[in-house]
This record gives sequence, C-alpha cells and structure tokens, in this order.
Amino acid sequence: MPEFESAIIKTYAPNPGASMFLSDESATTKLLVRSDQAQFGLVFGASSAVGEALICATRPDEWLILGSEPAVDAAAAGIDSGGFTNVIPFTHGRSLFRLTGAHAAGLLEKICGIDWSDAMTPEGAVTSASVALTTCDIIRHDRNGIRSYLLMCDRSFGQYLFDALLDAGDEFGISVE
Amino acid sequence: MLLVPCPYCGPRNSSDLRHVGEAISRPDPNAASPEQWRSYLYLRDNVADWNVETWYCTRGCRKYFKVERNTATNEFRDPPMPGNKIGGKA
Ligand SMILES: [Zn+2]
Repeated sequence: MPEFESAIIKTYAPNPGASMFLSDESATTKLLVRSDQAQFGLVFGASSAVGEALICATRPDEWLILGSEPAVDAAAAGIDSGGFTNVIPFTHGRSLFRLTGAHAAGLLEKICGIDWSDAMTPEGAVTSASVALTTCDIIRHDRNGIRSYLLMCDRSFGQYLFDALLDAGDEFGISVE
Repeated sequence: MLLVPCPYCGPRNSSDLRHVGEAISRPDPNAASPEQWRSYLYLRDNVADWNVETWYCTRGCRKYFKVERNTATNEFRDPPMPGNKIGGKA
C-alpha cells in the first residue's frame, strides 16, 4: 500500500472560542463491500460497531467498514463471500471528515436536504445525499453525547467539501480540530 | 421542490435524483420493426395526467425505481415507500 496522503492540503488556524469542530479523518482505513448477500445483519441505513471497527450499511447492497487497519481486517473476517461479493480497499479513494458540535445538524441543514432531527436520523443512522452538491455518505456517530457526523466523499472533492463545511459553519463558530 | 419517494431512502428532493423519463418497455431488437424501434427511442405519451416514470437515485442509494407521478400536479401515487426507511443502530 502506498503511504496515505490526505486531499486536505491547506493549513487552518484554530479558532480558540470554537463550539463546533471539523476534523480530517481521511487516513482512517476504509473497506467497501458490495454484495448481493446480506452482510453483518445490517440493513441499509444502519450502522454497528464490530470490535473497534464501525460497519455502516451505506446502500441497499453496499457496506462500509471504517477503523484502524487491524480493526478493519478483524471485522472483514465476518464478510459473507458467497454470491456476488466484491471487497474494495477505499482508504485512498475517499475523504472522511468528522463534524462535531451541538449545532452540527443546523450546519448540515444549510447544505443538505436530509431531515437531521433525532426522529429521522438518530445516533447510528446512515444515509447518502448531496452535501454542498457533493455526493456523500453520512453517518451519525455521536461523541460523548455530543452530536457528531462522519462525512465521506470522493477524494477529489475532499478539499472543496472541507472548505464548504467551514464556510457553512462560520456562523456556528467552527474550528478545524 | 419536488419530493420524490425513493423506495429505499424515503422522500428526497428531486435534485438528489435524476428523472429518467416515462417508463417504457424495450422491444426485442431482433424482432422489432423499424417503426417499433423508432417509437421506443423517440416517442413518448407526454400526458398531463398520471404517468409511470423511472427515476434514478443519484445522490442516495443509486437505484433505479418506477413511480407514478401526476405530471399536472406533481403528486406521487401509491409510491413504493419502505416501512422503516432509516434504521439507526441495528
Ligand atoms: Zn434512494
């Protein structure tokens, strides 16, 4: 595997009074499973922790495994390789960001058409939608009770989306973490 | 805004999808006459009424699906809605 290089090449000054945070987690190991078999007992729209890895059902026939390399490898042992199943390393092909803050849903509502209320997208919900006109997989993955979202897009859109999120988060006091 | 009922994602802004067009069946290319093939390629009913259409969920689940839309009022009829579209933690 080549050494990982994030699409985020700009440097950002931290905002000391920030109440919302955006971090580049693109180096996270990502493994994509496309299959006509049910995988991990997860239906489209759900996610679940398996060991240290996070497994997300990102499409009706697609699952995404996120985590450290050993954690992803361990979780991948649970893939049902029957039927027509493809397992694709995605680490270098996608950018992954984490947006955290009490008003994170308010930021997403500005640039994405999904209903981010708890009733529609509770902790663990997985969905795909346009975020600032970029196709993203979005996972609600709260941190210590604070609302948090993982956003994954094509690597080539990474720097654009990162800046678009910072721009939309300006009114909420966002900072790069 | 047109709220399109994707059978996998639930109601979505039409900008998240692609309108493929009137749902039509493809004739057998070995058996179709030139007239039938031309009709398949170019001719549509274009009704101002209920119409079965194909949509593609570009930004969401990347699935094609058929749904009935009233082209005059933009209502959707008997849409193939999922029972529980967003699961949360399993
Ligand atoms: Zn969909």
